[in-house]
Amino acid sequence: MMLKHDLRLALRSFRRNPILTVLMVTAIAAGIGAAMVTITLYHARAGHPIWWKEDRLFAVSLDNRGNDHKGEELMRHPEYPPDQVTFRDAQALYRSNIPQHAVMMYRSWRVVDPGRTGIKPFNVVIRVTTADFFSMFDVPMLHGSGWARVADTTPEPVIVLSKRMNDKLFNGANSVGRMVTLTGRQFRVIGITDSWLPRPKFYDLTIGAFDVAEDLYMPFGWSTELKLGSAGSINCVTPDAKVGSFDDLTSTDCVMLQYWVEIPSAAQLQRFRQFVDNYTNDQKQHGRFPRPTNNRIVDVPTWLEMHDVIGDDSRLEVILALAFLVVCILNTLGLMLAKFLGAASITGLRRALGASRKQIIQQHLVEVVVVGMIGGVAGLVLAWTGLWAIRVMTYVPGPDDSPDKRALAQSLSHMDYRMIVLAIGISLLTGVLAGLYPAWRIGKAAPASFLKAQ
Amino acid sequence: MKSVSKVFRTDVVETRALKSFSLEIEPHEFVAITGPSGSGKTTFLNVAGLLEEFTSGTYLLDGKDVSRLKDDDRSRIRNEKIGFIFQSFNLIPDLNIYDNVEVPLHYRGFSGPERRKRVTAALERVGLASRMKHIPSQLSGGQQQRVAIARALAGEPRVILADEPTGNLDTTMSGQIMELLEEINAGGTTILMVTHNPDLALRAHRHIEIVDGELAASRARQPAGAIAATVAAPPVVPAAAEERP
Repeated sequence: MMLKHDLRLALRSFRRNPILTVLMVTAIAAGIGAAMVTITLYHARAGHPIWWKEDRLFAVSLDNRGNDHKGEELMRHPEYPPDQVTFRDAQALYRSNIPQHAVMMYRSWRVVDPGRTGIKPFNVVIRVTTADFFSMFDVPMLHGSGWARVADTTPEPVIVLSKRMNDKLFNGANSVGRMVTLTGRQFRVIGITDSWLPRPKFYDLTIGAFDVAEDLYMPFGWSTELKLGSAGSINCVTPDAKVGSFDDLTSTDCVMLQYWVEIPSAAQLQRFRQFVDNYTNDQKQHGRFPRPTNNRIVDVPTWLEMHDVIGDDSRLEVILALAFLVVCILNTLGLMLAKFLGAASITGLRRALGASRKQIIQQHLVEVVVVGMIGGVAGLVLAWTGLWAIRVMTYVPGPDDSPDKRALAQSLSHMDYRMIVLAIGISLLTGVLAGLYPAWRIGKAAPASFLKAQ
Repeated sequence: MKSVSKVFRTDVVETRALKSFSLEIEPHEFVAITGPSGSGKTTFLNVAGLLEEFTSGTYLLDGKDVSRLKDDDRSRIRNEKIGFIFQSFNLIPDLNIYDNVEVPLHYRGFSGPERRKRVTAALERVGLASRMKHIPSQLSGGQQQRVAIARALAGEPRVILADEPTGNLDTTMSGQIMELLEEINAGGTTILMVTHNPDLALRAHRHIEIVDGELAASRARQPAGAIAATVAAPPVVPAAAEERP
């Protein structure tokens, strides 16, 4: 009953001083809105895409750079080796049987001929990869499966389609066993992945941390057979490297492959590190790897941090947003104190008429919680607006956008229910933090001191 | 009250607002309190109304020692046993008359129907039942003070403390308010009224005077004998004060 009464008093108090109330709600809303936008973006960036394998999945990078340090002064992290490995180094590492799974891969493209009237041939982005890709990254399969390792070396004319590509080519039907023509060559579909949006796209950050997964997967052996060029990033670390042909790419020190291993135990990991170091030391005998050994075999969080997917900037943004929220809370506290003291004579009167200190504190706390709630809701609206604006500014829809890409753009700038719960929690806490002292202060004073002010 | 002292302290000054103040009020008494400005009248009323704690001494209210109670108990006693009437009415400006009278009843925890019954009865008693939906600024000063009286009456207190209830009113309205207070007192409610108006003070059963935080005089209205008047403790009332009209 008292709560209902206190709520009525809170609403009356808002009507009595609407400007001050609007200022308080605005302050809380601004703080919550800014905090929610940055936390949501941080949450999206820092999402652990494969947390269940974080202690056993490792990216491998080797420092095959020459002693020429030209241009490194412009690099953010010159101490890190290149983020990809060369063709020949990848193949050398692939010989190790220490990892439970190992994947060398890169991004390429080919023309698909749908073989149907009305649909023109179109380019498709391909992930050229060794067989373990699907099991190592736990890629969800809609139909069929990936290929065996033997299909990499032969190589077998098999492919795995993404759900989106399967929808496009086969109208969503189970196409396992059907044939797809890629630049004049026939490939048999052996698997279709379900919707898969690793966020960030940790296994290949070269195109962008939030790119969508590829539409077609092909055994690695086809890279040399079809001389599949890279549709990703190529970085030749030796000066004057000639990369005119695919064969040049495979023979020079140009990094273009991502290399990942899955190693379940620390002892095996140590053995693999030793294996990699031995390999690069051996290569030094052949004039390669001139710098001190600087190989990195790192887990997913470290990998993302090395590439600034979740870097100091992201954390700084969150800290600044939270600092802004604190400023808003302090501002609200000041406004709340001014408001309560402004109505102190009425509070004194209520005390004289029998309200206890607890009842007065409770009455004012109800008011601050209501202010906090309204501010929180307004803050959520602000956050949604801010995220919408970010999406509009950063994502330009294109005619060939896949549903995956659109979903990714949405997810990057949409609060999920956890964010909403967090926002409500923060707004309540903000209201209570901002109002606790004023409520306590007004409740603590002797009633006579306020009546004198009448 | 027995030997009640109230000292206000700041970093640089100490003010003794009440000095070993002793006074006994009988049930159903109507006591007028006068004294020069700053003499301690309002402090006495605040202490009597449990609005302020006092520094030393003993205070029995309705037979119960209320000298050192916790805030909850003081608030409850204030709500149940004491009604306040102020010089400037102290109505809440954005509440209508009904809601103003209802305020203390909320803190008593009465149900809605019980509150409604008491508010209506109190407003009928002061002749303002037809103005329930008006806000204070729509009423005259005298009417506002009657609303304040209704608010004090609604809780059916044992004692009403009135701090210059007619101070802001003209003579006619002052007379009406005084008649209302006398009527309430006749109904059995004890009334302590601070006033600067000697004519009104003379209408009380007893007239006490406070000077420099001490009880300077206490005399009963003539004909004497009907009402007991007691100075419970020193200081002894000065002869000069006794001779005042």
